[in-house]
Amino acid sequence: MNTPLSSLRSLAPALVVLAILAFVPAIGASNRMLSLAISAGINIVALYGLSVLFGQTGILSMGHAALVGVGAYAAALLARDTGIGFWLALPIGGIAAAAFAAVIGVPSLRVSGHHFVIMTFAFGQLLTIVLTNGGDFTGAATGLDLQLPVGFFGMRADDLVPYYFVVLAFVTLSAIASWAIINSPYGRTLRAIRENEKLAASLGINVGRHKIGAFVVSGVFAGVSGVLLAYFLRHISPSQFASFPSIYLALMVMIGGARLLLGPIAGGILVSFLPEVLNLDPVQSRILYGVCLIAVILLLPNGLIAGLADGWQRLFGASRKQAPSPAAGGKHASEAGR
Amino acid sequence: MRLPPGPCAGGTFIQKTDGPPVRSAQQRNRAVDILIQQILNGLSIASVITLIAVGVTLIFGLTGIINFAHGEFLMIGSIVTWLAVQAGLSFYLALVLAILAVGVMGFVLERGLFRFTLTRPTNGFIVSLGLIVVLQHIVIFFYDPNQKSIPRPLTGIWDVAGVRIASVRVMVILVTIAVVALTFVMVTRSRYGRALRAAVDDRDTAALMGIPVRRYITGVFVLGSALAGLGGALLIALFPITPFTGGTMVMKGFAVALIGGLGNLTGAVVAGLILGIVEGFSAGYGFSAWTDAYSFALMILVLLFRPNGLFGGTSGPKMA
Repeated sequence: MNTPLSSLRSLAPALVVLAILAFVPAIGASNRMLSLAISAGINIVALYGLSVLFGQTGILSMGHAALVGVGAYAAALLARDTGIGFWLALPIGGIAAAAFAAVIGVPSLRVSGHHFVIMTFAFGQLLTIVLTNGGDFTGAATGLDLQLPVGFFGMRADDLVPYYFVVLAFVTLSAIASWAIINSPYGRTLRAIRENEKLAASLGINVGRHKIGAFVVSGVFAGVSGVLLAYFLRHISPSQFASFPSIYLALMVMIGGARLLLGPIAGGILVSFLPEVLNLDPVQSRILYGVCLIAVILLLPNGLIAGLADGWQRLFGASRKQAPSPAAGGKHASEAGR
Repeated sequence: MRLPPGPCAGGTFIQKTDGPPVRSAQQRNRAVDILIQQILNGLSIASVITLIAVGVTLIFGLTGIINFAHGEFLMIGSIVTWLAVQAGLSFYLALVLAILAVGVMGFVLERGLFRFTLTRPTNGFIVSLGLIVVLQHIVIFFYDPNQKSIPRPLTGIWDVAGVRIASVRVMVILVTIAVVALTFVMVTRSRYGRALRAAVDDRDTAALMGIPVRRYITGVFVLGSALAGLGGALLIALFPITPFTGGTMVMKGFAVALIGGLGNLTGAVVAGLILGIVEGFSAGYGFSAWTDAYSFALMILVLLFRPNGLFGGTSGPKMA
């Protein structure tokens, strides 16, 4: 479908943006800006997973924060009980979240598409309840503290600036991983499922297994993001992984656009920085998020970046013969469908 | 603790004349009393959840929209009731106001937002997520995130054979039974209900037969919203609420709707009853910390073995 060159070209904008972002500490960003950027970056790692799930496979998870939570709790528990530190916790957290995703995915994907979102949401709620009732093991409602330092070749990388680079590196890694998935035969299979599940099944694609697979893959991203979060915040509690963080993750991926490589970066940064830029208090900013989400869905169903690119083409690509409007409308509907 | 009542007081107690000593019989009766009380408590909460589930299931059946903001509609109903009672109105007037206000809100939102997502239910679902955030934080913006409560509209506690029954809970259960029964009769017996079911079954053919499907969609959305408004008024009569109450309630509402089979009215009512009894039992046996987990666990179990719910649901309107 894509030649290697054109698929490489699709990675380039994301890499350029990430390279520019690497200069953020150098221009003397304040500590507050840096910590906002770090939390945005941690979200973006999870968003890349969500974009594989939603953008490519067309299934939306509303319990994604729970998978982030599995990664975070895995990191905190490992540090407390075994003394395993940051770098080993990363793969373990990813695997734990992936395993949890498989456990959720198998029953949830048995039911039809509509219900999957509700099932993931319910599992997210269940996890919060279990963590809250987990007694000393999970620290109950107060949660867990995490004291181990983050080392990097003998240096400490806990401070904001080094940790910013650690997170940026993982954002880059997840962008590349997500790009690799999109441009692989596997990604093409997922898109086939998204576009027409019955047709895909008739071509011999095991739809159920691939859907679960996509959910597990997105779980790995979420788990890694959770480990990063735990080592950034140094304290985690069940409420951080309840239903609302899940909604915000979905919101970010929708605002940014799930199908584009730049989408998660745009969504994560916009949602994290918009309230700061507009100088809103949290309540106002959340109202704004909600309104943005509704506006984006109704007006630009493919996300903000795709909408902007669309507008750009309409403004400057006028020389190209415009398709007659009914056909354009039809294409839009099929793309935005699910 | 009083002695077990005489034989006339109720068949729930087995009068022991011999066998175990009186004290253990008392204890057993006490346990039964608590259990009955807890089941009543469970049923009164389940009433509110059933009201949500009925609204959710009706709206889904006709429009395919999964409206997660339904819990927020309920919360707005509670807030309207709270405001009206604060303003000195009686609870029952406040309840009517809540029904009207949330009904109007449903009308405005359907006409203003959900109308545009009818061909793409997933977008409708995401719009409802946005609405959750907006509605919650508008309430926090104008009031505050703290608990809000009203004085109980009915303070009486009946002592029926040692079981202490709060009259307000009975009122909630009875109002719910009446309203759900009315809805049920409307949907199954009236010609509007028949037209509605025809539209659920096959929207296009129904439209060809002269049924104004668009108007029915708006109507069902308003009806579902009004039920949520009623649920909100009843909920704040039972418990203090916060702007975040809607979130857990809607999840339970969806769980109940899914257990019964999404789009199936009877299923929603029966599943609501089951959940009420299960939650009551668990609270009665001291597992109250896990109460919130049952609806989800039950839902997951049911969907594992019967993906279409216990009573078979629809998969939403057929899209061309």
